[in-house]
Amino acid sequence: MINLLSMAIMMGTPLLFGAIAEVIAERTGVMVTAIEGIFIVGAWAGFVGGYLSGSLAIGFLFAIIAGVIVASLYGWICIYLKQHQVVTGVAINILVLGLSAFLYRVIFGVPTIPLTVNPLAVIPIPLLSSIPVIGEVLFNQNILTYIIYIIAPLSYFMLYKTSLGLTIRSAGENPEAVDVAGINVYKVRFLAVLFAGAMGGIAGAFYSIGFLGLFTTNIIGGRGWIAFAICFLGNWNPKGAIIGTLAFGFAEALAIYMQAKGGNSFFPNELFIAIPYIMTIVLTISRKSFNIPTKLGIPYKKEN
Amino acid sequence: MNAKLRDLFVTNIMAIVLGFVASGIMILFLNKNPIDAYYVLLTSILRDQYTFADIFVKATPLMFTALAFAFTYKANLYNIGAQGQFYIGAVIAVAGSLFFENILPSWLTLFVVLILTVLGAGIWGSFIGFVKARYNANEFLVSLMSTYVALAIMNYLLRTVLIEGKGEYPQSDPLNSSVWLPKIISGTRLHIGFVLAVLTCIGIWILLYKTPLGYRIRAVGYNAEAARMSGINSKKIYILAFFISGALAGAAGFTEVNGVQHMLVQGFNADIGTAGIGIAILANGNPIGIIFAAILFGALKVGGTIMGQMSNIPTSIIELMQGFVMVFVILAYFLRTWLDNNREKRKLQKAVLK
Repeated sequence: MINLLSMAIMMGTPLLFGAIAEVIAERTGVMVTAIEGIFIVGAWAGFVGGYLSGSLAIGFLFAIIAGVIVASLYGWICIYLKQHQVVTGVAINILVLGLSAFLYRVIFGVPTIPLTVNPLAVIPIPLLSSIPVIGEVLFNQNILTYIIYIIAPLSYFMLYKTSLGLTIRSAGENPEAVDVAGINVYKVRFLAVLFAGAMGGIAGAFYSIGFLGLFTTNIIGGRGWIAFAICFLGNWNPKGAIIGTLAFGFAEALAIYMQAKGGNSFFPNELFIAIPYIMTIVLTISRKSFNIPTKLGIPYKKEN
Repeated sequence: MNAKLRDLFVTNIMAIVLGFVASGIMILFLNKNPIDAYYVLLTSILRDQYTFADIFVKATPLMFTALAFAFTYKANLYNIGAQGQFYIGAVIAVAGSLFFENILPSWLTLFVVLILTVLGAGIWGSFIGFVKARYNANEFLVSLMSTYVALAIMNYLLRTVLIEGKGEYPQSDPLNSSVWLPKIISGTRLHIGFVLAVLTCIGIWILLYKTPLGYRIRAVGYNAEAARMSGINSKKIYILAFFISGALAGAAGFTEVNGVQHMLVQGFNADIGTAGIGIAILANGNPIGIIFAAILFGALKVGGTIMGQMSNIPTSIIELMQGFVMVFVILAYFLRTWLDNNREKRKLQKAVLK
C-alpha cells in the first residue's frame, strides 16, 4: 500500500507541473492545447541533453528550453496572429511528434540496444522520511517532487495574493481593463504561455529522464492531455489541480501496479489503463460549478 | 476567379510548398540531399499502378475522419475523438463480418455490417453530444478521452472474445474473402470504399449547404444563442451532429477492415484521427476540399514510406511533413484575413475618394 501511494505521488508530479502551468496560462485566457506536444518535446530534449552530457540537470535545462521554444511558436500563432487555439494545438502536436521522432533518429541513428540513462535518484529527506506512512510516502521522492511541493502553494499565493496574480486573472476575465491600466495584454498572455512551456518541458522530461531513463515516441501517450483535463476539473485553481493530480496519480499508479502484478482474472488490465480517462469523462460530466475564465480561448483584439 | 478564392488557392499552395521546404531542411540534417529525396518520393508514387492506387487507398479512411472533425466544427463543436470512433467502427466491422460471413450472402453481409458499424460508432459519438446537451460537459475533453477508452475496449476484445483461433497474437481471425470490399482496379488494393468516401464527401456537402438540417447545424455553429431564439433546438443539434460525426469516423473502420486489412490487429492506423483533423484544417472544413486534401496526405503517406525504404529516411518524415504543412496552413489563414482586410480598406478608401 505504501508502495502504491508513493508511486501515486511520483506519477502525479509531472501531471501537477503540467496542470499548474495550464492553470496559469488559462487564467490569462489562453488554452495551451499544445501541452501534449510540449510534454513530448520535453521528454525528447531531456533525454537528448541528459544522454549527451551525462548530466540530468543539463537534460532538464534542455527540456525547459525546448518547451519554451514550442510554447513561443504556439503563443505567437494564437496570441499575436489570433488563430484558433484548438486547431493550432493539434497542428503543433503532430509537428512536434514528428520532429522528436525524426531528430532522435538524426542524433542516435538506429541503436541496436535501447539507449538509457540513469533516472533521477530518490532522495529521502532526513527525519521527515522516517515518519511512518506519511513520511515514507511524501518524503521519499525525487527532487522534482520536492520542487513541486514548493511551486504548487507558491502558484496559489501568486495567483490570489499578489498584483501579478490579479493581472493574470484579469487578462482572462476582462482584458480591456488590463489594457486600460497600461499593461500589455498580449505580453501577459505570451509570458504565461512561455511559463507553461517551461513547466510542461520539465513535466515531459520527468517521464524520460526522471523515471523511465529512456525515450520512445509514445512515452507521453496522452499525459499532457490529462494535465490539461486536470486544469479544467480543478476549476482553474491550483488547489483543485492538486486534488485532481492526487486522484489521477493514484489511478495511474494503480494501473502500473496492476500490470506489474500480472493478469487479474476478474478485472482486465485494460480497465485499469482506461481508468484515468474514464475518470476524466465522469468528472467532466458531474462537475457543476465551473469557474471558467470568461475569455478562455478568445483572442484579444485591441481596438485601433 | 474571385479574389477570396484566389487567395485560398495561392496561400494554401504556398503553405504546402513551405511545408516541403521546411521538411527538406530537416532532411539535410541526415546528410541527405532533400531534392533527391523528393525526387524519389515523386517517382516512387508514380512508379507503378499498384503504388499509385495506394494513394487513394490511404486517402479513403482519412476522408472519413476529416469529415468527422469538419462536420462538428460547422456546429462550432470539437470532435477530437475520431480515432476512438474509428476503433469502435473497426471492432464492430470485424465482429459483424466474422459473425455473418457464413450466414448471409456476401453482399448482404457487407450491407448489414456497414449499417451496424455506422450505427454503433454513431451511438458512441452521440454520447459526447448527449453529455454536452444534457450536462453542459466540455465536448473537447470528453471526445479526447473517449479515444483512450475505445482503444482499451478494442485491446481488451482483441485479447479475449475476438482473438484469433490459434490464440497466439492479440488479433482477430482473417475475414473470409467473400466479405472483402470489391476491388475497383484489379492488381491494386483500391477498393470500392474509396468511391463510398468520395460520395460521402459530396453527400455531406449537400447535407450541410443544401438542406434545412445543414442550415440549422451551421446556424448553431455561427451563433448558438441566435439560433435558439429563432426556434432551433441546439441540444438536439449537438446530439445529432455528434451522431453523424461518429458514424463518419466509424465508416472508416468499415472500409479499413473490410477493404484493406481484412482482419483487426492491435493499434492499427493509430494516426488517422489526428491526420483527419489536419486534412480538415487544410481544406478549411469544406467537404469537397477534404477529398483533395486527403489525397495529398495519402500521397505523403505512400511516398514517405517508400522514401524511407529507398533512401533510408525514417518514416517519421511523414508526420514531420504533415505537421509543417499544417502549421503553414494556419499561418495562411492569418495571411488571408490580412489580405482580405486590406482589400476592404482599399475599397472603402476608393469609395471615400469618389
